[in-house]
Amino acid sequence: MIKNYIKIAWRNLLKNKGFTAINIVGLSLGIGCFIVIAMFVSDELSYDQYHENAERIYRINSDIQFGGTDLSMAVSADPMGETLKNDYPEVEEYMRFYASGGSKLIKKGSEYINERLVAHADSTLFNVFTLPAIVGNTKTALNEPNTVVISETAAIRYFGSAEKAIGEFLDTDDNTRTLYEVTAVIEDMPRNSHFRYDFFFSMDNVQYGFGNYLSHNFHTYVLLRSGTDYKEFNKNFTAVIDKYILPQAAQFMQIESMEDFEKAGNSLEYSLFPMTDIHLRSSRGVELSANGNIQYVYIFSAAALFILILACINFMNLTTARSSGRAKEVGIRKVLGTEKKSLIWQFLTESTLISILALIIGILFVRLTLGWFNDMSGKEMIMSALLTPNFIIFLFIFPFIIGAFAGLYPAFFMSSFKPITVLKGKLSTGHKKDTLRNFLVVFQFATSIILIVGTVVIYKQLNHIQSSELGFSKEQVLVVNNSGLPLETRQSLKDEIVQLTGVESASFGGFLPVSDSSRSDTTFSTETVMTESNAFNMQYWRVDYDYLENMDMEMLDGRFFSREFGSDSTAIVINETAARLAGFDNNAVGKNLYGSDGNGNRTEYTVIGVVKNFNYESLKQNVGALSMRLGNNSWVTAYRFNTNDIAGLVDIIENKYKAVAPGMPFDYSFLDESFDNMYRQEQRIGSVAITFAFLAIIIACLGLLGLATYIAEQRTKEIGVRKVLGASVTNIVRMLSTDFVKLVLLAFLIATPIAWWFMNTWLQDFAFRIDLSWWIFAGTGMISLIVALITLSFQAIRAAITNPVKSLRTE
Amino acid sequence: MLLKLEGIYKWVNSGGRRIFLLKDIDLLVKEGEFISIMGPSGSGKSTLLNVIGMIDGFNEGTYKFLNESVHNLKERQRAKLYKEYIGFVFQSYNLIDNLTVYENIETPLLYKKIKSSERKALVADMLDRFNIVGKKDLFPVQLSGGQQQLVGIARALISRPKLILADEPTGNLNSKQSQEIMELFKELNEEGVTIIQATHSETNASYGQRIIQLLDGSRNDYNL
Repeated sequence: MIKNYIKIAWRNLLKNKGFTAINIVGLSLGIGCFIVIAMFVSDELSYDQYHENAERIYRINSDIQFGGTDLSMAVSADPMGETLKNDYPEVEEYMRFYASGGSKLIKKGSEYINERLVAHADSTLFNVFTLPAIVGNTKTALNEPNTVVISETAAIRYFGSAEKAIGEFLDTDDNTRTLYEVTAVIEDMPRNSHFRYDFFFSMDNVQYGFGNYLSHNFHTYVLLRSGTDYKEFNKNFTAVIDKYILPQAAQFMQIESMEDFEKAGNSLEYSLFPMTDIHLRSSRGVELSANGNIQYVYIFSAAALFILILACINFMNLTTARSSGRAKEVGIRKVLGTEKKSLIWQFLTESTLISILALIIGILFVRLTLGWFNDMSGKEMIMSALLTPNFIIFLFIFPFIIGAFAGLYPAFFMSSFKPITVLKGKLSTGHKKDTLRNFLVVFQFATSIILIVGTVVIYKQLNHIQSSELGFSKEQVLVVNNSGLPLETRQSLKDEIVQLTGVESASFGGFLPVSDSSRSDTTFSTETVMTESNAFNMQYWRVDYDYLENMDMEMLDGRFFSREFGSDSTAIVINETAARLAGFDNNAVGKNLYGSDGNGNRTEYTVIGVVKNFNYESLKQNVGALSMRLGNNSWVTAYRFNTNDIAGLVDIIENKYKAVAPGMPFDYSFLDESFDNMYRQEQRIGSVAITFAFLAIIIACLGLLGLATYIAEQRTKEIGVRKVLGASVTNIVRMLSTDFVKLVLLAFLIATPIAWWFMNTWLQDFAFRIDLSWWIFAGTGMISLIVALITLSFQAIRAAITNPVKSLRTE
Repeated sequence: MLLKLEGIYKWVNSGGRRIFLLKDIDLLVKEGEFISIMGPSGSGKSTLLNVIGMIDGFNEGTYKFLNESVHNLKERQRAKLYKEYIGFVFQSYNLIDNLTVYENIETPLLYKKIKSSERKALVADMLDRFNIVGKKDLFPVQLSGGQQQLVGIARALISRPKLILADEPTGNLNSKQSQEIMELFKELNEEGVTIIQATHSETNASYGQRIIQLLDGSRNDYNL
């Protein structure tokens, strides 16, 4: 019987090639989309799950509110881990990463390579995380100073193989030159890790004032014993603060008790955060890598599901649309004694067959577009990810679910035709059944409109960011990393390059207004003795005389540092926010500020100028307090250029650089690109959203086409009569379109508030954001209406120009 | 003279062979005539009516309507012509299911861009004349066959045509209803409306002033 069903179903599909093609294309688009998103979501959810103790590993987060600044950090103080392990038996082990600096130069032959995947780690790294060794014993590998554990990739890069690497030395630029012995080689870390390093250096080589509870610079992870409730454990931090942190803080400022501290509007909080949640649910200051976002996982999943539903709806619409063509077959079968049940099976077999074909094409689709989707989403997914048992089972069951879901309604609908009416050639049109189809159209268009509005808003917001008044000029700035240059040559090289044609100005200083550059913040007070009420946190940047001009920033009051004034060593320039936090109002110039100089001593600074606020972090945040001092920070040179031959200029600068520092890597970037990188995730979301919106509207239009075909078929006779009564083609087209236009308008009314709510929520992430103006919605409504009308007009015009004699002859 | 057909041929090609639907038809119709076209099924009655009604074309010959050569007209002009002068009555009434009696009768006026107030008056006249005022808000399915055909005729007459083309107007009706419709046609004809009807029934055909016989697409009589 089944064989018979399949044979007939196959024949039917072949007979109506156009209809089958539309159905399969629509459905395979939906399925392809769904599979890609399923891969994406399962990849996002798989982060950090590979560690044996994944469920027991937690990171220590710090939340500090102090003097007007609000810091949520993924880092904590260096002694914190050890303190927890010593004082609380629930803590089985701890380990820390020190990743400051971000990169090291490592010598290979005569050349230095700039390695970025480097960190210093405690020897307990391998007790907490599961990083299998290829050679060497990881238990003891990092016990001694000057040791390093490297990945297989790194071993091959420097020594040829993992085996050859053991016992060899890596020559690094640490402290101008430090040798590290390779004590173990581990397998390359999986891609789905929230931290990924090729080099783990010994923590003993870190130059740092250890034992400081007030500086937060270490990513600290603890391994809790089984059965420990981390939320319960978090309560212990109050005791840790009282016992260790307050006494240290009291040395710097007058703090009587935690209560006083909190009364002044400050707070200090530590907490454990599950390691497996880091990738999707954590976006704090100083994360080890750019994390995903659970919200986007939800949004993508919803979008994929909706597109799949849209595609299924199409199937229903198109199948019922064609039903009058099948009505006669149903009538004859029934007269011949076929049961309703077996007719239903017949139709379900057809829909399942279509969904199997659609699945195959859908997978092909995924295969073709995966690389593109990877580029867009920043993932590195591969087809073989589909070969996991879960996916295979899913792919086997999937077409049957889709076949049943999409086929059930048409099956019941068609199998219930009454043979007599059908054979007489009079198919009861029954206007009551239109309700469901109308609902489906409204649903499809509402979804499309929401997606389109989303896309438009995301693009507008990104545009807004890119073109908004930043307070500095990001265009045409080349940033060159000087770390490979000997100190004494940096100034002369800079002077030489400024002379080149096309180069306008240059300044030293790694403190740049994009988020991947140097940062340093310290507590300042407006009086000699720091109290909770007169202290505030502020960025503390060391810049040179040319910085302001080179970055194209603007002074509001006073002056910037100048070579003409000798006494600028204690001078400080602050921004508007800092002036406000300090309570200087509009006369900041000449006021004093007090800060520590790093050795615990208080230093007095005099404000010489106020710089107009400029955005130095992502525009998601408001501009925080910032100060600038003259200083020797020559790690980076920023050149402002004015030439069209950028590649040529970079070449010349590179040659000059290499001449001074042979063998050193020439490492450069452009300020505007670094700026754009801050919004990489939003850009990705934007591209994904536009794809979805596009797919959704295509699918919705296919559905509309189907429905228009159906309606035109149903009303063939009426159209004929009207034409004979004198209706023109325009009359008929208008008549057929009006109903759909109403549906699209209804969809618009439903979609608008939903889209508004979603996008308004999304925009809340940005401190600098666009308004949701009415024309975004009106424009989207117009676009969907126009697209719908174009789709409809194909069918409507075809129906309208049909010779009425043909439709009236069958009597 | 209302219309004149000369040497009209119409054919379709099927499987390489030419099948004639109309063969060398000559016909002259004067204003005020009542003509019955007779002939067995498939003889070309409906096709001839459609050609006269300008909703179907022909392959050869000349057709003049009110001294205009129809075969030279563009689609748009032709449509204008039949909108103005011709009303159709069908065997299966062809009322629009989802419109009321009133709306069905009103439809041709909508396409002639007649003002709303005038439309109301015209439809009311028509309802009055056919004694169906009480049924104006009913839908076609709620009417009997005879009543439906009355509505069909009312709709054909609303735009005051010179010519009514009726294709088996009583084919779906019982004899009493048939008789009523035929009497109505006669009445209309006496008022000056030209009527051409296709029919199987000798009785109905006899209402006409002359009868044209068709067989396999050719005229089978000796009238002019």
